Amino acid sequence: MNQTARSFRSTLPRFRQSLLVLLSLSTLSFASHAETISVQHAQGTAQVPIKPAKVVVFDLATLDTLRTLNIADVVIGVPETPYPKHLSHFQEASYTRVGSLFEPNYEVVNQLKPELVIVGGRSGPKQPDLAKLAPTIDLTVNQENPVSNVDSNVRLLGKIFDKEAAAEAELKKMHDAIAALKQKASGAGTGLIVLTTGGKMSAYGPGSRFGIIHDVFGFKPAVTDLKESNHGQAISFEFILKTNPDWIFVVDRDVAIGSEGQSAAKLLDNALVRKTNAWKKQQVVYLDSFNWYLLASAGLTAMQENIQQLSDAVSAHQHH
Amino acid sequence: MLIHPGSNPLTSSYRLLLLPTIFLLALSLISISIGVGDFSFSHLWADNDDADVWQLLVISRLPRTLALILSGMTLAVAGLIMQMLVRNRFVEPSTAGTIESATLGILLVTLIAPDTPVFIKMLVAGAFSMMGTLVFMALLSRVPLRSPYLVPLIGLVLGGVVLACTTFVAYRFDLVQSLHAWTIGDFSGVLQGRYELLWIGLLLALLACFAADRFTVAGMGEAFTTNLGLNHRALTLFGLLVVSGISATVVITSGNIPFLGLIVPNIVSLLFGDNMRQSIPWVALLGGTFVLLCDIIGRLIYYPYEIPIGTVVGVIGSILFLTILFGRRNRA
Amino acid sequence: MLKNILHTRPSFVLLLLSVTAVICIILFMTLGVKGQWDFALPLRAGKIAALILVAFCIGISAVVFQTISHNRILTPGIMGFDALYILIETLALFVFGLNISGHIATSGMFVLEVAVMTGFACLLFYSLFSGGVRSLHLILLAGIVFGLMFRSLSAFMIRIIDPNEFVILQDRLFASFNQVNTSLLVISIVTVALTSMIGWRLRHQYDVLSLGRDIAVNLGVPYKRTLMLTLVLISVFVSVSTALVGPVLFLGLLVSNLAYTLTGSDKHRYTLPAAVLLGVVFLVGGQTLLERVFELTTPLSVAIEFIGGLLFIYLVTRKGRV
Repeated sequence: MNQTARSFRSTLPRFRQSLLVLLSLSTLSFASHAETISVQHAQGTAQVPIKPAKVVVFDLATLDTLRTLNIADVVIGVPETPYPKHLSHFQEASYTRVGSLFEPNYEVVNQLKPELVIVGGRSGPKQPDLAKLAPTIDLTVNQENPVSNVDSNVRLLGKIFDKEAAAEAELKKMHDAIAALKQKASGAGTGLIVLTTGGKMSAYGPGSRFGIIHDVFGFKPAVTDLKESNHGQAISFEFILKTNPDWIFVVDRDVAIGSEGQSAAKLLDNALVRKTNAWKKQQVVYLDSFNWYLLASAGLTAMQENIQQLSDAVSAHQHH
Repeated sequence: MLIHPGSNPLTSSYRLLLLPTIFLLALSLISISIGVGDFSFSHLWADNDDADVWQLLVISRLPRTLALILSGMTLAVAGLIMQMLVRNRFVEPSTAGTIESATLGILLVTLIAPDTPVFIKMLVAGAFSMMGTLVFMALLSRVPLRSPYLVPLIGLVLGGVVLACTTFVAYRFDLVQSLHAWTIGDFSGVLQGRYELLWIGLLLALLACFAADRFTVAGMGEAFTTNLGLNHRALTLFGLLVVSGISATVVITSGNIPFLGLIVPNIVSLLFGDNMRQSIPWVALLGGTFVLLCDIIGRLIYYPYEIPIGTVVGVIGSILFLTILFGRRNRA
Repeated sequence: MLKNILHTRPSFVLLLLSVTAVICIILFMTLGVKGQWDFALPLRAGKIAALILVAFCIGISAVVFQTISHNRILTPGIMGFDALYILIETLALFVFGLNISGHIATSGMFVLEVAVMTGFACLLFYSLFSGGVRSLHLILLAGIVFGLMFRSLSAFMIRIIDPNEFVILQDRLFASFNQVNTSLLVISIVTVALTSMIGWRLRHQYDVLSLGRDIAVNLGVPYKRTLMLTLVLISVFVSVSTALVGPVLFLGLLVSNLAYTLTGSDKHRYTLPAAVLLGVVFLVGGQTLLERVFELTTPLSVAIEFIGGLLFIYLVTRKGRV
């Protein structure tokens, strides 16, 4: 089956001609599989076999979603990277390591002869290169529309693996949870998202990586003039005191050191932060950093856990 | 006993110190009045029950201003001492592997025992920077033909080697970004209770002041020092201890402030020549002033958010330093 | 007898280095292929091409730079280039966000990066060399100072970008030879080949230049013109190699000094190829060790920084004792 691909690759012009690649891929896929579907992904369209049995996944969020939909057994290759708790079984030796998130080991991928390769987020840029080896789709979640992106990705996976009913059920669960959280959050007061790293802090606003807390989950931002940008702003403790949020959502960049939120909690525990509403009401939430930035909160379970954590936090205080 | 500093130029130079001291104090007042929280000096004496203003002063403003002055003074003095010991204008803790070694120490102790109290961390960082600086000195002693540019280059390469080790570890634990945050000088996290280690640095710098003349002698070489009846090895070790200690306290409190040890002593030596006893107070004052000024700029440009002082000093310091360099060249 | 040995030593060293380089290349091409030859060979050939190109750029530029600046310690790599590269990459990511990692932007980014870095280098070198007083102090210090300035600007942006963006940045900041973009490789090879033609025409003048400015001028070398053309060549070489794989700080220092020591000659027909071959040995050999033997995910540049730095320090101190 790789004959076409090989001869093509050896003569492949060094300048990328994605159109040609795509054409060659579709003929190749048609030759080996009777059933393929045309799939729209972040970097174009691809012909993908239906119910592929050998899948290489570079995207942790997709691994998460596949596991949630009970189709993780088709995965044969995963990247070498730290895994969050709920995905830890992908660390077993039965899964072939196919390189890091950034640097696919093309030789290993080629050896596995996968029927489908899924990239996303950090591995997204490698889609064109991997597409020369096997049908490759990019499921990168666009931060401007995270939820609708998660929707379409989950539906797409459901379609490819013939799990559409399960996908819809999970999505409904997620949307119900979001709606419920939104209702609670709207009356819960203002929130400030703080990233701590190396003893210093930056604040993130709506529209940022963590902005989903404001944009989708409906917590009112404590600061309205935090510009809509991907990056945060360096802030001091006085800034936190002055904005006096009802909730502080903490993303701890230094999770590798000690346990979750430990170093962040130490950092925040000071006379100024203690005077904020959030601290007084014990409404400082240490977000699960794996789910929030390693999975970019784009996997199904990661998303549901995130919603759950925030929802629990709000509920706990509404009973007071 | 052995060295009698000329008394006349000294007293006159001490009198001259009055002006920069007043300037530093004025800057301190400005520094205290800047911040996100509600604060003004008039509130302090206004007869209201508002304890918040005093609290802000004591918890946040005063510590930050003090931390800035202390770091600036001690780092500049550390640079001066290194330049005396090595007899090279272009050496300072960040061009001698000292800062990189301190950072490696902090990273390791944070990884191995995250709950270690800050004081112990500082000791570890100090020990590491001491070792790094010792290696640097040992290397220098093995390069007999010490061309002036070779010295900082060896320091930079040594720093690069240590940094490679640090990066290797940080990369493994996904801590490279945190490492960047640690190492860039930034006083936004300084509060009461989180900067006091810097007083140890001041203590060390004061000790160095008393030994000032001896460092000048030590810089002249071992034979010369011994002829004057001083213990060269002990002096050098003491100097290194001071430099390492200062570097460790500053790095652990706020991160590195590049250039300071390089630029301030160089300006002062342009103004006053190389007598250390005479230049130490100037170096300290100018160091404190420069750091204070840069932090004020960093806090104001993007108010209410901050620009870390490491960046401000990096940019302003570079421009200043290049001006000095090229100004010197044009005159030459 | 003695004369004979002295005469043949550089050639012998070159031969030895060539053999070592070829062995490294063969090992790199063949280790761990596991039967998929027709797939692995073209893939690895691309990587080899990139590694050799970088070795070529860094080796040549380091030796030539040391010739025209009459020293053996400075290399163009330590002149703030890495910091400028970091600044450009960080700035791009800061402004454009994650989109920058998209494939489309890569060639544009590359050309822009090469252009900016070449411009910076020409400006820096020109201002320093044209001012009459050519002080090594100044060149070195200005380089360090620019480096510090660029680095502190990047540090601010790194401090506030979100972790996801940083990971992408980190990937680009460490010199990596595992994911060289082949389309960029073609642009690079063409650029380097064109620039090399300048160097080829000047090749006879370098031995004379190393005798010092006055002697060179007396011997009829058009000093200023040669100097300027050479600086352009160095700037392009360093910029291309940095933009292609990322910064490798101490490699130039390492290979040039080893080349002088091993060949025991200062004739450029020996030192230049020796430096390039040493570069190939270090890069290809290092990558082979890292990738195939230790299976480490650590970027090669970190290892080279470490080993290169140690070797440099060893060289400097050993030279002192002799």
